[in-house]
Amino acid sequence: MNRNNITLLISFILLVFFQTLVFNNLYLFGFINPMVYVLFLVIYRFDYDQTFFILSSFILGFLIDFLSQSGGAHTLSTLTIGFLRPSIIKYTFSVSSEMPVSFQDDNRIFDKYLFLSTIVGLHHFLYFTLVYFNLEATSLIIKNTLLTFIFSLILISLISIFYSKSNDS
Amino acid sequence: MQRIINALIQYRNAIIYLILLIISLLYLNRNSNFHKNKLEKYGLYFSQSIYYLSYSISKYFDLKKINSDLFEENRKLKEFELKSKSVSLYPRNYFKEKRYPFVLKKGNVIKNSFLKQRNFIIVDKGKSNGINPEMGVISEKGIIGIVKSVSENYSSVISILNQDLKINIRLKNSNAIGTLSWKGINPKEFQIEDIVRNTDIQIGDTIITGGMSSYFPFGIPIGKITDFEDNSKVGYYSINAKLFEDPSLIYHVYMIENKDLDEINRLQENTLK
Repeated sequence: MNRNNITLLISFILLVFFQTLVFNNLYLFGFINPMVYVLFLVIYRFDYDQTFFILSSFILGFLIDFLSQSGGAHTLSTLTIGFLRPSIIKYTFSVSSEMPVSFQDDNRIFDKYLFLSTIVGLHHFLYFTLVYFNLEATSLIIKNTLLTFIFSLILISLISIFYSKSNDS
Repeated sequence: MQRIINALIQYRNAIIYLILLIISLLYLNRNSNFHKNKLEKYGLYFSQSIYYLSYSISKYFDLKKINSDLFEENRKLKEFELKSKSVSLYPRNYFKEKRYPFVLKKGNVIKNSFLKQRNFIIVDKGKSNGINPEMGVISEKGIIGIVKSVSENYSSVISILNQDLKINIRLKNSNAIGTLSWKGINPKEFQIEDIVRNTDIQIGDTIITGGMSSYFPFGIPIGKITDFEDNSKVGYYSINAKLFEDPSLIYHVYMIENKDLDEINRLQENTLK
């Protein structure tokens, strides 16, 4: 077990705990709970096993659902993003001979943030669609997705900067 | 087998994703009543549309049988209808068995003409189905003709669109008796003769069969009076009528068997002697 894996495991556990204990009780402006645990889907290295990634994203979502006693929307959206991530990587990172290896080690700023916001945006959209699960609530879904997306993105970006630095040192 | 395993390994991500998706859907279904209701609603919608599809397919293939069943049912109802109209044939004493000599038989028109002055219809039932000459032929909304000759499996019918055929009729309101015959042009336009001038008639009066011939029972509605003219010199009205049924468009017909026909004929012969 190398250092990367240990970092990943610790961040997995920490993300679950912080999400359920802190961020789920934030209620910014009364209703915004940023979903920071999506960071796990970003920092998992791109060259690692995809099957294990799908399984771990399922477990991540399930744990969040289980600990925050929500229905199953976290599981479904996290699992789906885990499954779709290879295609998202393919379409967000610009074509070059150099394949991206991981989010934190890449230095293409624009591509990185495009990838990050695609993952977070898709995840939030899926999550709120599943939570409301009603065509009549479309405007509510979009509003919630956008507002939560902004805060999640800010927090995840901040934490991911911390990650890059810790990796560099 | 090797290839199946290879395929499984190749698509393992998608397979694992689908399995986990189903597990999480079940989890969602179990945990949230709102989602449970919603999912059940969609499931119901899907199963309903699938059931409806299979139902309509099987129904389509049953249509022929349903049609013939309905035709048989209609025949029975028609018989009852005719029976109920002919009150005069019922004995006053209710303990006696009610006797009604007319029985209906089904048939389908396979050849029909309406362009000539003397038209004939071929029906796909013949001697083997119990059809005999001189049986009346009616349809759902009126009368069609009289059986002229029968072969083993087919019978030819003198159409009502035949200028030789004269039908004994009655006006429903005034009970006046007359004769109906085709004018020879439009398959729905007919004329009525022999209605005496002292009867009170109006446009729109219903014409029914008179029951004077042994072919048709009393009370089958045929058509309506469209206009009439007062021929004061002759002492009869000349009346134009319109049929309820277009005899050129019929497909299902009923043949009326009169069980007393022989008896009536014999009686007539005896009287003439």
